[in-house]
Amino acid sequence: MHHLVVDQWSRRPGWLQARDPRAKLVVLLAYLVCVSTLRELTLLAVAALATPLAAGLILGRLPLTGVAARATLVLPFAGPVALAAWWSGQPAEGISLLVRACLSAAAVLVVAGATPLPVLLRGLERLGAPSFLVLVVHFLHRYLFVLSEQAQHMRLAALSRGAGHGRARRRRALWRAAGGALAVLFARSHARAVAVHRAMLARGYLGVIPSLSDLKMGAADWLLAVAGVSWIAAIRTALAFRG
Amino acid sequence: MHIPDGLLSPGIWVGASVAGAAAISLATRRAQRELDESRAPLLGVMGAFVFAAQMVNFPLGFGASGHLVGSVLLAVTLGPAPAMVVMTAILLVQALVFQDGGVLALGANVFNMAVAGLLAGYLPWALWGGGRLRSLALVAGGFLSVMVSGGLAVAELAFSGVKIPPLLAWSAAGLFALNGLLEGLLTLAVVRGLAAVQPGAVRAAATAGRATAALGVAALVLATGVVAIASQAPDVFDSLAERTGIADRARALILTPLAEYRLAWAPESWWGQAAAGLTGLIVMYAVGAALARIFVKRRSA
Repeated sequence: MHHLVVDQWSRRPGWLQARDPRAKLVVLLAYLVCVSTLRELTLLAVAALATPLAAGLILGRLPLTGVAARATLVLPFAGPVALAAWWSGQPAEGISLLVRACLSAAAVLVVAGATPLPVLLRGLERLGAPSFLVLVVHFLHRYLFVLSEQAQHMRLAALSRGAGHGRARRRRALWRAAGGALAVLFARSHARAVAVHRAMLARGYLGVIPSLSDLKMGAADWLLAVAGVSWIAAIRTALAFRG
Repeated sequence: MHIPDGLLSPGIWVGASVAGAAAISLATRRAQRELDESRAPLLGVMGAFVFAAQMVNFPLGFGASGHLVGSVLLAVTLGPAPAMVVMTAILLVQALVFQDGGVLALGANVFNMAVAGLLAGYLPWALWGGGRLRSLALVAGGFLSVMVSGGLAVAELAFSGVKIPPLLAWSAAGLFALNGLLEGLLTLAVVRGLAAVQPGAVRAAATAGRATAALGVAALVLATGVVAIASQAPDVFDSLAERTGIADRARALILTPLAEYRLAWAPESWWGQAAAGLTGLIVMYAVGAALARIFVKRRSA
């Protein structure tokens, strides 16, 4: 069973990991809005915006290099856009686009790295996300790795039968084989989904997943929410007054 | 096509989030009515299937390979409303776990791919899915879904003030066209395979309501209009006003409400931009929906 690195981080013990997901989501939202409403980024602004991230890294005991490396995953999309801005004679705009994209991605990583996805989803649900949609995401996450492994096994099986060595002449056959593989995967996934659903019904499932503990905003959670949001608001206001 | 955070201006992401959230809450309600309350597991597992399907590569030649995006496949197997819910769930997981698309930009990504792209991609199937043109409808659907969501994404970036040189815009359009054609052919290949493995998995097009087709047309009109405006404004407005000699009054009338997506009464504030973005989106959507209603009524009459 493969586990995502972000998922592993979120299950480590840490102060940020123990906080209520709603508090973390509210602070994340405030940070993202703050970054998104800043048009021009000075060096001072970047330094100020890095402080909440640093605090998150320390409180969540997250690895700096790992978060930084994953934050650059936005570059394949943001890079060309920034280059376009550069070419049209706005190099500063291009750079601040890149910095904004990386800072935002790092902030999402800090929260996702300090909160297991099921807990994060419960927080989203309590903040007003449609519960049916949240339930679908729960199941998507649960079966993501099961089905991905099945797909990888099928791919390996196909390769060992000689797929992937096609000449142009045989490409049509390869193409049809890949289509068939996906169709089989679809049918198997569907059958598995129906079986899962029946098993759940047999165990008394009525459309709601009961959880062992309810979310509760304690003093530390309120502290995180209030301190985080006011810190970010202070940064935004200070930067607005400086120009 | 997953827009990360930090590229869209506040007006655009707020507007797109409101539009996306409204569409998805309607789709969720409809999906709950169509399936029954307790079938969320099915949709979740099918979402996981789309993730897994992206690991099966199709050889394209020259060492390149491509994979399925899946929105049209989901729409013709599960129905458009459940497919919208599944695509939204996929985008949510991609944004939170895989850093593929931003969190603030999630509304825009949902609107582009799970709402407008999916509805536009479903349109050919809703119109011709029952007849001899089924295969063509699937290919056209895949093509339209990618073109509409890609076009909307680029237009949103342009409205956010990102300068996109014509060369880049054209190469993006070419890339979208190639990807769209590929998506159409892949969808066709999988649906053909499904017909052999599990007959009945693909829903008959007859179950598609006229309202769904109308929404598909609305999505197409919306995307075309938005891309047209993004590619021409504000230069075209400027040169038109100069050439025809229309005084500043006319230019103010055309330019102030939507120029750089700011309202005249709140030029610099971000809530002004947000309000302008929202107004623009609602106006575009209303125009698109009205046109679609007329168009589809004429067709079916």
